[in-house]
Amino acid sequence: MREPRSLESSRCPRCDQVLVRRPARSAERSLAWLIAGLICYVPANVLPVVHTSGVGGGQDSTILSGIISFWRAGALDIAALIFLASVAVPSGKFLVLGLLLRDRERGSPMERLTRARLYRVVELIGYWSMLDVVVVALTSALLQFKVLGTAEPRLGIVFFCAVVVATMLAAQSFDPRLVWDEERS
Amino acid sequence: MAHTLSGLLICRECDAVHRRVPLSGREVAHCVCCGSTLARSSALQVVDLLALTIAAAIAFSIAAAMPVLSIEVGGARTEANAWTAALSIRHGWAGVAAVVLVATTFVVPLLQIVLLLWLLAFARLGRRAPASTRALVVLHHLRPWSMTEVFLLGALVAIVKLSAWVHVIPGPGLAALTALTVLMLILSNTDPQLWWDLHCTPR
Repeated sequence: MREPRSLESSRCPRCDQVLVRRPARSAERSLAWLIAGLICYVPANVLPVVHTSGVGGGQDSTILSGIISFWRAGALDIAALIFLASVAVPSGKFLVLGLLLRDRERGSPMERLTRARLYRVVELIGYWSMLDVVVVALTSALLQFKVLGTAEPRLGIVFFCAVVVATMLAAQSFDPRLVWDEERS
Repeated sequence: MAHTLSGLLICRECDAVHRRVPLSGREVAHCVCCGSTLARSSALQVVDLLALTIAAAIAFSIAAAMPVLSIEVGGARTEANAWTAALSIRHGWAGVAAVVLVATTFVVPLLQIVLLLWLLAFARLGRRAPASTRALVVLHHLRPWSMTEVFLLGALVAIVKLSAWVHVIPGPGLAALTALTVLMLILSNTDPQLWWDLHCTPR
């Protein structure tokens, strides 16, 4: 066992990182990233993510209109997948992280355990929302035919990317030990 | 996961202190307080990890050099993989998304493979790699941003989506990408303690 000489300047003997009792202002930073993500979520859904043009003309598609068109075309599994990755997962992250931040000094041990588990789920599946970005990028890269049609990314996908990154950073900056803190009386 | 200090394991999520117990087979240790994973046992030796990492490097090179999928329309063909897909959308506003895409599906896995090869090659020789602590810290930070599996699923979705209109040809990059995803998952799931134990000598 080692005794740190002083808390300000001590480093881990093994990995040489500065020792901290708790990450500073974890809840505040997490909330800031979460709000940033929420702000970007509006244009991500309102603005089109891809513009496809063919013989008949061109059209913009948003995330939701893309899901609907897959559904109408009979590709229910793809529609469900995109819905999960681009709508359910980000919304779920907002809700769960918001809950974790709001209730962080309250609740019974059982409730805290549930929250701890929710946090783990968020960390595990959070990055899958990048799926839509990948699909847009690949489709745009491939559909470059004047004859058949072209696909181009639009501003919406950038905001969506920002949502994924912001929510990932929100989850990362949230110190899971906050779930187990007792209320200061 | 957990932090160790001479036989103790501290849960990363709730700070509960546990005594470190040797694990065998495929046992996983969980925190008694909050259930998070403390440690995993692994039958993988340095030799095995090195082999896996070399395989990952090969798979990565193929997936980077060869197209993952291509489509053909009346003789004209376009191809794409992670690198070319990101390049094609770099114009205008979407360039930001291109940077993020290339970073998470290309740069981060590449860095992970290079750093792992560095650490494991020296370990195979029975030595501690130079700058191993910095390498391990960087690997720790890279881990959540490695998204090859998302790219794989995205490629499959794109194949299904496009094959309704055009003739889609899966490229050699797709098989390589699948192999890479599996290998990266195995490598990432090894307990970080394993890596630190390999390289830790108390000062």
